[in-house]
Amino acid sequence: MLSRSEFLEPLARHRTNEVVVTTMSVTRPWGRLSDHDLDFASADSAMGHTADLALGIALARPDRRVVCLNGDGSMLMTLGTLATAAASGAENYLLVVVENGTYEITGHQPIPGAGRLDFTAMARGAGFRAVHRFDRADAWAEAVPELLRAPGPTFASAIVERTGEGPISRTTREEARYLRASLADWSRTLRAALRNS
Amino acid sequence: MAHTSVIDALEAADVTHVLGIPDNTSGPLFDALGRHPSIRLVIVTREGEAFAMASGLWLGGARPLVVVQNTGLLEAGDALRGTAVRMGAPIPIVITGRGYPKMRAAGLGPETPKTPELMTRPDVDSVALVTEPTLDAWGIPFEVCATGDDPAAAVAALVHRALHRECPCALLVTTDLV
Repeated sequence: MLSRSEFLEPLARHRTNEVVVTTMSVTRPWGRLSDHDLDFASADSAMGHTADLALGIALARPDRRVVCLNGDGSMLMTLGTLATAAASGAENYLLVVVENGTYEITGHQPIPGAGRLDFTAMARGAGFRAVHRFDRADAWAEAVPELLRAPGPTFASAIVERTGEGPISRTTREEARYLRASLADWSRTLRAALRNS
Repeated sequence: MAHTSVIDALEAADVTHVLGIPDNTSGPLFDALGRHPSIRLVIVTREGEAFAMASGLWLGGARPLVVVQNTGLLEAGDALRGTAVRMGAPIPIVITGRGYPKMRAAGLGPETPKTPELMTRPDVDSVALVTEPTLDAWGIPFEVCATGDDPAAAVAALVHRALHRECPCALLVTTDLV
């Protein structure tokens, strides 16, 4: 099992100009590691609709890698997106499901099927070009550069420890810059960053 | 309509992607778009996915349009609210209206009070009764394209309206598209 920092730090270290879309329990920790106009928090947003939103960005900008850090509970809400993403053939799309088996930000209630689900089997069955599972920090850290380069659509499952992230808000009290703006304002920040790069 | 004229309108409006799930009304449009050389058709697994993907496409600088049936619109409520509406994304939405002929034949309309007796009547398709009040409740500006209207002109106006207002706007089609 990876700690939250063992999961996020290699991504932050190797990330260059990729769009990174976060949701739920990794939203704040990623915002503490990264302060980039190409980050997007799917927060104060539609629950469960992060992987599909990120897929839309990837289809609009095939020249730009899009990394989606999704939750396992969030993924369960829109499993159909696995089929849509695989069918899209988006080579620039990397979908990572952060598996901790719970709805963490509401207090660690178990997700349906916790401990029995195999997201990699689902992704493989949906037709993802490349599917990976990581439960060791060294293997993950070693794989990140290639995951950010290899043609996708790529799916990765990361087994990550439970922490204590509480509900996410968009207020000026948040430490992460991408959470201090409204969803509408940050959407325009990301659009401008993509338009100008 | 000739769905070709709607496609002409989409081309003229620089629509890059059409997302949604076909029904009997929109099926021929989806068929034609599937052969289109430049507008990309994305058939999704659930209508909410269409709104989230369309919002992502807009973030990336594309100009998407969503086509769903009114039943699917109801399913997609929070996806629409939590992405396109909250983001202020100018997503045009073509909604095909199931149930309107039955509603009219019964002498009813969207303004009819929704009593439990009405909502369970076998001769009424309740989705038509609640579609327009739902759009109002969700704050989605909409126009109706009924029999005798020009769907291509209505679609062109829809795209313009969404861009001008910087929010998702809908066109409720209560007649045949083809």
